[in-house]
Formats: sequence, C-alpha cells, structure tokens
Amino acid sequence: MFGLVKGLGITLKNMTKPKVTYSYPDEPLEMPDRFRGIQHFDPEKCIVCNQCARICPTDCITLTGKKHPDPEKKGKVIDTYDINFEICILCDLCTEVCPTEAIVMTNNYELAVYSRDELFKDLEWLHNNNTNIRVENNSAKPKAPGGKSS
Amino acid sequence: MNLMMVVGPVLLLFIVLGFVTYAILFERKVIGWIQNRIGPNRVGPWGLLQTVADVFKLLIKEDIIPAKADESLFRLAPVIAFVPAFAVLAVIPFTEKIQFADFAVGLLYYMAISSITIIGILVGGWASNNKYALLGGMRSAAQMISYEIPLVMSVVGIIMSVGSLNLHEIVEAQQKVWFIFPQFVGFAVFLIASISELNRTPFDLPEAESELVAGYHVEYTGFRFAFFMLAEYVYVFAMASLTTVLYLGGWNAPFGLTFIPPIVWFILKFSLIVFFLFWVRATMPRIRVDQLMQFAWKVLLPLALANIFITAVFKEIPVIGKFY
Repeated sequence: MFGLVKGLGITLKNMTKPKVTYSYPDEPLEMPDRFRGIQHFDPEKCIVCNQCARICPTDCITLTGKKHPDPEKKGKVIDTYDINFEICILCDLCTEVCPTEAIVMTNNYELAVYSRDELFKDLEWLHNNNTNIRVENNSAKPKAPGGKSS
Repeated sequence: MNLMMVVGPVLLLFIVLGFVTYAILFERKVIGWIQNRIGPNRVGPWGLLQTVADVFKLLIKEDIIPAKADESLFRLAPVIAFVPAFAVLAVIPFTEKIQFADFAVGLLYYMAISSITIIGILVGGWASNNKYALLGGMRSAAQMISYEIPLVMSVVGIIMSVGSLNLHEIVEAQQKVWFIFPQFVGFAVFLIASISELNRTPFDLPEAESELVAGYHVEYTGFRFAFFMLAEYVYVFAMASLTTVLYLGGWNAPFGLTFIPPIVWFILKFSLIVFFLFWVRATMPRIRVDQLMQFAWKVLLPLALANIFITAVFKEIPVIGKFY
C-alpha cells in the first residue's frame, strides 16, 4: 500500500527534473569528436593515390586524376572526386588511409534528400562541406588545449 | 421559460468542450513532464492547438461502418455513451447559484444516469460485429457495473451524515469540515472506484493499448470514435466535479478565505482532482485482469460497507458525532 504513495512521490518529483529531450530539428545536435560524418575533401592536398577508392568497402568513391598542369612537376592532380552516399557507410576507412588527409570526416550528418540523385556528391560539394571538420586524427587541425597529449 | 434555460446548457457544452480540449493537452503535458519530456509543443505556441489538430483529423476521416455491422445500433452507440455524460452535469452545483437542476435526488440521478453509458459501450461492442469489440465491451461492462457498487456504497456515508441526496445540501453541510476528513475511507474507495468507472489507468483494461486490439471501439473511426473519447473526458469533468462536491467542500473556501470567489475555489479543487487523475495515470501500472473483480468485490466493497457502519456508529458518539 505504501509503495503506491511512494511511486506517486517519485513521479511528482520527476516533474521538476530537467528535460532529457533534444529539440533536434530546431537546434542541431552537437556530435562528439571522432563522430563519422559526411566527408570533407580538399583537392589541394590530394595526390590521386587512389587508396581511398581501393579501400572503400562499398566502392562508393570514384575519382579521376589528370597530369599536373605545370609540366616541371611530377605526379597528378585530382580532376573529379565523387562519393555516392546511397551506398557510403561512413566507415571512416577512406580518411584513415589517406596519406595527405585530403579527405577527412566532419561532424555533419544530415543526408536526407528528396531524390536519390542528390545523394551523389561531387568534388565541389565535398569541398564546400567544410563545417565541423573533425579535429581528432587530423594533423591539420589544432587540438583543443587541455586534451589528451598524444 | 427564460433565456438562460437555453443559453446555459449551450454555454456549458462549450465550456466542457474547451475543458476536454485542454484536459487532453494537459494530460499529455503532465505525462511528458513526469517522463522528463516536454510533451506536445509543435502545433501552436506551447502545443496549444495539438488537440484541435487531432480532433480536426478525426472529423475529416472517412466515416467507416463495417459491412457486417448492425448499422443503426452502430450509429446509435456513441450517442448513448455521450448523452448521459453530458446529462449528469445538470445536477452538479458549481457554485451556490450556478446549477442547472437542483432537485432532491441529485446524487442518485448522477449515479443512475451515468450507468446508461455502459449500455452505449456494450451496444458499440455488440453492433461492431467483431469478436474483439464484443469482448472489450463485455469486459468494460463487467468492470463498470462491478465498480459502480463500491462507488455508490462509499457515498452512503455522506448521505447518512447530511441526511439528503441533494448535492446542494451536501455542499452546504461541508462549510466547517470537508467530508474528506471524517469520511476518509469513503473518499479513498470513491476515488479508486471513480478511476475505474472512468476506465482510466490503472483500470484501463477495456482499452489496454499494450494488450488488446483496442476494446469496444476497434471498429470505430472518425467522429464516432471522437464521440466515445469525448464521452470519456466529459466523465472526467463530471467525476472530478462530483468528487469536489462530495468530498472537497464544493465551492466552500477553506480557512475563511472567502475573498476569493467561490467559482475559483471550485475550479481549483476540480483541477486538483483532474491533475491527480493524470498523475495516477503516469505512475501506476495496469491492474491485472484476474485481480480486477476481486479487488472490487473483496476489497473495495467491504471497505465501503465498513465505512457506512463506522459512520453509523460515530454518529451516535457525543463529541465525534458532530463531524458525522
């Protein structure tokens, strides 16, 4: 019998506790660092080594390179770079394997679109996806002070 | 016949509809808060138009009557369920002046009329020609009839103290002491039985979402379904009013705080009961079906009878007798 009253007391107290819900579509969710979001691509850094396309478990990356415009220099520069987000599983392997960190993860995750075609992201789109770039495992980004020393 | 005879009930109907609209929102808000959520907040500021949107959705839905259903009974059932819910409000004295019908057997009228709703539910379950609806209707009828007995028995104590079935006189008798104090056992039995009468958690077995298909209203959609729901919430209004009148002193102000108008006191006490119903709903798990009937007949009824007996005895004891 007393348990019923006790239960009522608990629920009454619960009413004043802070809410645990997020107002998600109104306010974007802060993702933790190390979150595997949509990739950011920097064509300046890319050396067209093709490692990302080869390691990709779903073969969602297609890239083409062209000869360096400066004939003095060796190697290639990137021409097209596309990720098909219909099949990309955001596994982070492409960014792990990239020797120059030309492709890195961001904390962005909103991929809902009205057409499948829109999920085919090209070089320009990936380059412009430059917000919330992941700091962790990214030497180009300064670590936050007070973080774990590596 | 003066104008108030026509305008009054219409006004009451709109007040009740407004109450139902915001009681549903408030119920969802309270349950949300208790579960550390915000509750509905998308439609209108603070979710104020949520119920309006829900009801609008129900009203524009296709009106489906199953092919094998008994059509005339199927149409009639929501009406039978709703009309008594509104009719019982006639005897509730909201304040000394705001009361539609002040007759000698007001309490009996309430109890008698409110049981007609059971017929509406049973007819709805029968006319649907659906085994789930029929079983739900049967369960509902069994539960509501069983719990009506302790409900009526628990108020006999009050009737004995006041010596009248007139709700106005019952409130008048509570000017010094509310009946919740001398009749506490009766109040507890009444409250439990009334929650069961309202088919609300923890006694919502007739329409237990997580166990049954839906209960007696499986086949109902659109505005007929809305009518069943409306009847249910109008009963919340009626039952909260009746509890206020019987046990919380109606419009009487406690501690001599008479500068606050009586209608405000009534609304405050009434809101407290309504909040309590929502609070219980968010707290209690559903009672088991095999314990449901035993609880009514073996616990509540003996308690209510004991309450009558105690009241009768205490009435004869010199000092305590004046409270009874």
